[in-house]
Amino acid sequence: MLGEGRYFDGESGQRLTVALDLDTAAGHLRLSHPDFPGGAYIWPLMGLRSLADLATENRMVLSLAKDHAVDSALIETARLTLRDPAMIEAVQNHAPNLKKRDLPQGSGRKIVTRIGLAVGALALMIFVILPGLANTLANYIPIEREVAYGRSVVEQMERFLGGTKAKGLTCSNPEGVAALDAMTTRLTDAAEVNYDLNIAVFNHKMVNAFAAPGGQIVLMRGLIEKAESPDEVAAVLAHEIGHVEARDTTRAALRTAGSAGLLSMVLGDFAGGSAVLVVAEYTLNASYTREAEGKADQFALNMMQASGTDAGALGTFFDRLAGLEAGGPGLPVYLSSHPDTKERANAAREFAEGQTGTKPILDDTQWQALKDICKE
Amino acid sequence: MATQIQGDYFGDGGKLFSLYIKTALLTLITLGIYRFWAKTRIRKYVWSAISGDGDSFEYTGTGLEKFLGFLVAIVILAIYLGIVQMLLLFFGLNLFVDPAGDPIQALWQLAAIYITFFAVLPLLLFAQYRARRYRMSRTRWRGLRFGMVNGAWAYTLRALGYYLLNILTIGLLSPLVTFKLEKFMVDRTWYGDAKFIQNGRWQRLYRGMKHFLFALLFMAAFIGLGYLVESVGLATIGLVVGYIWFILASVYYNIYALNYMAGEKLLDHKVSFLAVVRTGKILGIMIIGMLAIFGLLFVVGLFGSMLFAGFFSSFAAGDVTGAGVGPVMAILGIVLYVGMILLIGGVSLVLITQPIIRHVVESITVTNADHLDTIRQRAADAGADAEGFADALDIGAAL
Repeated sequence: MLGEGRYFDGESGQRLTVALDLDTAAGHLRLSHPDFPGGAYIWPLMGLRSLADLATENRMVLSLAKDHAVDSALIETARLTLRDPAMIEAVQNHAPNLKKRDLPQGSGRKIVTRIGLAVGALALMIFVILPGLANTLANYIPIEREVAYGRSVVEQMERFLGGTKAKGLTCSNPEGVAALDAMTTRLTDAAEVNYDLNIAVFNHKMVNAFAAPGGQIVLMRGLIEKAESPDEVAAVLAHEIGHVEARDTTRAALRTAGSAGLLSMVLGDFAGGSAVLVVAEYTLNASYTREAEGKADQFALNMMQASGTDAGALGTFFDRLAGLEAGGPGLPVYLSSHPDTKERANAAREFAEGQTGTKPILDDTQWQALKDICKE
Repeated sequence: MATQIQGDYFGDGGKLFSLYIKTALLTLITLGIYRFWAKTRIRKYVWSAISGDGDSFEYTGTGLEKFLGFLVAIVILAIYLGIVQMLLLFFGLNLFVDPAGDPIQALWQLAAIYITFFAVLPLLLFAQYRARRYRMSRTRWRGLRFGMVNGAWAYTLRALGYYLLNILTIGLLSPLVTFKLEKFMVDRTWYGDAKFIQNGRWQRLYRGMKHFLFALLFMAAFIGLGYLVESVGLATIGLVVGYIWFILASVYYNIYALNYMAGEKLLDHKVSFLAVVRTGKILGIMIIGMLAIFGLLFVVGLFGSMLFAGFFSSFAAGDVTGAGVGPVMAILGIVLYVGMILLIGGVSLVLITQPIIRHVVESITVTNADHLDTIRQRAADAGADAEGFADALDIGAAL
């Protein structure tokens, strides 16, 4: 088949109109022009590649793959533009590798080593350097700043959970607050606590509790409702006090600031990026905190022991949460941020076996008052 | 060959939109990894749509090399950004006190936020030069490639100095900054073995600043008048209109600078250029595009809130705990959110970015173009293979 094309050799910038001869029997495309050495170039159909994603309609731009460039080492920079629909169709039918993308030699090795380096650098930062830095830096933050920061975290959380104004979710029934105070006092009297604890109950059905920097602790109404004895609430409270004393949340905030920036860089500022970021951050935090959770448990058990409260309550509460989880979709949030509950429940029970002479942390009236803390 | 070449643009809105949505979905599915290939494919489309004298531009970059460059940038940025961001939060925390309480404390916090920006600014400038250099080295016309000499650090230092100067003189030296930074880049740019030169004088750009002056005078007049006749309304009108006028003034200035500096560029001491980009046309494109996006946001928002309201009422009756609502709503919310961002990206590419490119390309004329035939290929610039920093820092989001 004969035709015509526009040819640039990639060296001179001269536009040449070349005569084309598509010889399907010989399997090549012949480009002829008086200026060519010997009058013609032979392009094997196997080696033809066409440029992708072109905006111009009814046009095909061909180039020659490197290993098929027999005429000149530089010929792979040459371009042949076809405009004749019949010729374009013929080339499409007879050149088998038009859409093949040739990778430069050594690409595979390059990809593997560079991914390795990048993953290594990220892992080193996220798992070694940032946590280490966070641990050191957390010790240099003055307590009053930490408290101010923690307060704003709690306020944000309150707003996030649906509180329309400041303190809008905080439960304030005086008898309930008195019971909570009694519980806190008995726990902290027996142990040394560096922070002024600021404990609040949020009027929310979520089965959850959290600690924020600077001694801020929040229990959700749902958690108190699910507990069957005041000792169980005390166990969770002691656990959160353990986080406060270890400055876990302050360190987590520092670490997150570093790693969130890195992750958002890796994932790119794309629609999917922000959603994935949340999941990635979450998973990352879960793996960070396993050790911190264990320590907070230990702290809680010791605190229960020192205050003469049944430490087994921690185990009972974990078991109840696990039961809730198995029972249906009402997955307690507390669980998902506190992994390995079964193991930890067993550890708590084992610890409790050595305890003697424990008594409930609240009497029945106080316990009822605590349960009603969100009622006006 | 023609002695004059007029720029042509062949891009089609529908085709570009479907290419964008296709590549954006692939990016979504691959958790963002495909974004290097996505950007490359869109560039290939736009480049091939630009044409002069019947010959299209070609973008020869590949997604793979962008990905590889990005991996290198990650290693360096991971260390720098991770540590800097943590230190910043540390100082931020140390400065942290309720900002509503004490104006001095609020100022300190503001300072901490700006420090964050300044820590990344040198990297942004560095990445800006590198990205332009990469794009040049991957751009061909008539088989000859463009190129830029390495000079990213020198550019970064100069840009930092000029920006500081501009801040100290409250923007009065903007023409100097615009001109010198563009000249720095143009004087290092090649087409084949022919070199570009930026001629002209920076003082000439002051005429393009006239609308800033008008906006200021307008604001001063209305506020002064409002003060005299004790009318808050007049002063407010002055402020609002003046503010909008300021934004338009900056568009006008940028286009004025583009036209003037294009007219003063020379290739190989012979080939010259003429650009007659019109501010009104560009503003029209931007306004129509933004109206379309707002309309889209409105419709999607309405649709979304109706959907959510329906869910609330259907669950409120039966399920008291509402436990089942959470995941369904969350998934629906994410789908709506992601879909909307995709749509907005596509619409702004097709209704704003592409029409602006079309208008700019079509308003450029190359004169003395027969000299282009004498230009030959130049050896490729080594090391122009890393746009990684720009990718990592997300510069030039659309193209």
